Amino acid sequence: MKGILSKIVERGHYKFVDHVDTWQEAVKLSTDTLVETGYCDADYYDQIVKCIEKYGPYVVFEHYVAMPHSQEGVTGVHKTSVGFMRVKDIVSFGKDEAGEEKEAKLFFTLASENPDEHLSNIQSLMAVFMNEPLLDALMEANTPEDILAAEDKYYTEEF
Amino acid sequence: MSKLDNKKFMVCCANGAGSSLMMKMTLQKVLDKNGIKPASIHHCALSEGKSAAINQDIVFCARNFKNTFADAEKKGVTVIGLKNIMSAPEMEQALKDADLLD
Repeated sequence: MKGILSKIVERGHYKFVDHVDTWQEAVKLSTDTLVETGYCDADYYDQIVKCIEKYGPYVVFEHYVAMPHSQEGVTGVHKTSVGFMRVKDIVSFGKDEAGEEKEAKLFFTLASENPDEHLSNIQSLMAVFMNEPLLDALMEANTPEDILAAEDKYYTEEF
Repeated sequence: MSKLDNKKFMVCCANGAGSSLMMKMTLQKVLDKNGIKPASIHHCALSEGKSAAINQDIVFCARNFKNTFADAEKKGVTVIGLKNIMSAPEMEQALKDADLLD
């Protein structure tokens, strides 16, 4: 089935990294492909980092998934997409207020300009985030072909 | 008739752009499953939600933002902080714990 991951691959919005030193650097790297293709400005990541610094690592979900994003009506975002990045080594965002360690290996960074497309992306991402076999496969991905194969094998709109 | 019919729901996250939309979908799923017809489901950022909460019946947020709604909670609004905003079972259980769902 063709879903959000195919779209990410078609647009070249993917990146595979072995290690990053800080979550701030990870957020920046995860926006690189969006910047290179004109979807957002180079300083967009800075707004995301400020948001996370202000509100805590609430963008990190279960199963090593992070969804860095900023506000609706943010400046410097020109088109709607999702930037995917897989990091081999765990990236730590620190503890949340409940004392739980927030860690990520899969980044799905949101650029939102068109509300309808954004909503549909969020809907598809939610189906990805609830799908542990798919997430496990994505953590092992090294090429765009791996992403597509994982989607093909595991993606379903039911969650 | 459920206690949750015709209630006003609000889902709130820091930005009102990402996880609040996911929470809205989770909530929709829980309500559909239980045949509940809400009056409204509003999604927004914390900055707006803080003042809007008082006009709602039930507010959902990530658990680390729960304190933001302490005032509304004192005035009788049900405020539910979620560990996993995408988990329908967690949301359903929280509504049961609040004695709002059988």
